[in-house]
Amino acid sequence: MNMFRFPVRNTPRKFKKSFGVGSGPAERIKKLQMLVTALIRNERLEAKESYCLETRGYVEQLIQIAIRNGDRHAETMEKADFWLLEKDLVHKLFKVLVPRYQNYSTACTDFHFLPKKVPGSGVQMGILELKGNPWPPVVPRQRDQGHLLTNVLLSSAKAEYRMEKKITPDLRNGDHDKLEQAANT
Amino acid sequence: MAAPCRKIINQFVKRSLKCFEPRVIPCRWSNTVRNHTVEKHRHSPLSSTRELVNQQDSPSDVMVPREFRFVHPDFLPYPVWNRRDRVREKLEREDMLKRRAVIDIPEFYVGSIMAVTLADKNAPGKQNRFVGICIDRAGHGLYHYFVLRNAIDGQGVEIKYDMYNPLLLKIEVLKLEKRLDPQLYYLRDAPLEYSTFRLDMEPVSVLKGAQVPLNAIKVKMNPRPWCRRWERHNLKGVLPLDDYITEKMKKQKQHPQIEKPWEKHDLMLKARTSIDDREVDQIMTEVYKRKEKIQKEKFQKRGQEGKREVKKAQEVKK
Repeated sequence: MNMFRFPVRNTPRKFKKSFGVGSGPAERIKKLQMLVTALIRNERLEAKESYCLETRGYVEQLIQIAIRNGDRHAETMEKADFWLLEKDLVHKLFKVLVPRYQNYSTACTDFHFLPKKVPGSGVQMGILELKGNPWPPVVPRQRDQGHLLTNVLLSSAKAEYRMEKKITPDLRNGDHDKLEQAANT
Repeated sequence: MAAPCRKIINQFVKRSLKCFEPRVIPCRWSNTVRNHTVEKHRHSPLSSTRELVNQQDSPSDVMVPREFRFVHPDFLPYPVWNRRDRVREKLEREDMLKRRAVIDIPEFYVGSIMAVTLADKNAPGKQNRFVGICIDRAGHGLYHYFVLRNAIDGQGVEIKYDMYNPLLLKIEVLKLEKRLDPQLYYLRDAPLEYSTFRLDMEPVSVLKGAQVPLNAIKVKMNPRPWCRRWERHNLKGVLPLDDYITEKMKKQKQHPQIEKPWEKHDLMLKARTSIDDREVDQIMTEVYKRKEKIQKEKFQKRGQEGKREVKKAQEVKK
C-alpha cells in the first residue's frame, strides 16, 4: 500500500547547477516547484531525464494526497499551495485531476525517453506526461489492419489453402516459414 | 579383451537406465523454505494486498480505536521503504503478541513514571527493580526499547530496557502522563531535582477512558557545557535558553544549513522515510484483531481451569 506505483530511486537526485553554479537543496526544490507547476498546467513536459524522473515522484505524491484527503484538509491545501506556483492550478488539481485519477491503481504519469541529439550535447532528454491528457500520443499506436479488405481476402485465401492441404500450422511457434515452404512446394 | 568390453557395456546400460529412474528431490531442502521463494513475497507489492483478500471479514467490520496506534507504536515497522522485509515484520508481530500474552505491558508515554522489575541472578532476591521517568521510547517491532532515568545518590542513572526482553518480569506505570517533547534527553543537562523520583513511589490511579494528562512543566537548564546543542532542537519543555548561548550561536542557529527550511514541504522525503497512513491502519486492524482473539482464548482457558478446580474441590468433598 505504501509501495510506490513507479520505480523510485533510493536517494534523491541532486540538481547541480539547476540555478547556476552553487545551487543547493533550496534551489532544487525551487526548480521542482517550477517543473511540477508546468506539468500540471500543460499535462506534458519535455526536460532532462533526471528532472523528469524527479518531478514524477512529487507530482504523484501531490495527486495521491489530494485524492486521499480532499480539499477540506488544511495540510494538503498547504502542500498544494506550496507546489503550485500559479494558484488557479489548485482548482485544477482538486476539480479535474482528482476525479480523473480516483480509480487508478497504476501511476498517473508516464515517462518516455527521447533520442539523444547527434551532433550535440549528449544530454538524455525525456518526456513526462499526465495520463489521460488531450495531446496526441507520444508512442504511435499501430492501427488494427486485420479488417482492411486486402488483408481479409488474403487471410481467407490462406485458410482455404490450409483446408485443401490439411495443414494445421502452429502459429504461436512461428510456423509461418513452414507454411510458406509448403505453399512453394 | 572380453572383460573390459563387458565393463563398458555394463556402464552404458546403467547410464541409459538412469534416464528412466524417477528423480528424487535432494533432502537438504525438504524441511526448509528456500530463500529465493520467500524473497519473492518480501518485495512483491501484491503481498500487502493479499492479506486483505484472504481476510474472512473485511477490515471495515472491526472498529479500531483511534488512539490504538499511539498506544502501540512498537508494532509499526521500520519506515525506510527499500529496507523493509514484510515477512519478517509479520513474524515479529506474531512474536510480540505472544510475549504480550505472557507479560502485561501497560500504556505509557515519554514522560510517564515507570517501575521495571528485571530478573537478575546476581541481585539479592534474584530481582532488580528500578523506578524512573521514561525519557525515550524507540525501536521498531521486536527491538522496541525505552529508557528510564532517575537520580540515585546524587548521580543521574539511565537504564535502557528492551521491551520484549524475556528477562523482564513486570512493567508498572506509576504515573501516566505526557510531556511536551518527544524525547527528554535534555534532563541530563538540567538540575537533578527534575529527574529525582522516590524508589518506593506509590502508583497514581487514573480514571479509565480519561484523557492522558499533559505535564506542561518547563525545565530550567543548567548553564553550558551541555551534552548536545539544545538551542538547535526547538525544545518546548525548556525555559528560553537565550541567557546561556552566545550571539554567534544564535546566528548559527538561523543558518539555512542547520534550519533546513526546504525539508518542510518535501513530499518525497516524507514518502521515503515514513509509513503510509493506510498501511498503519492495516497493521493496526490486524494487531487489534489478533489481540482480541488472544484475550478471548485466555478467558476461555481461565474459565476451563476454574471449572476443573471446582470439580476437584467437589471430588475432595465427596
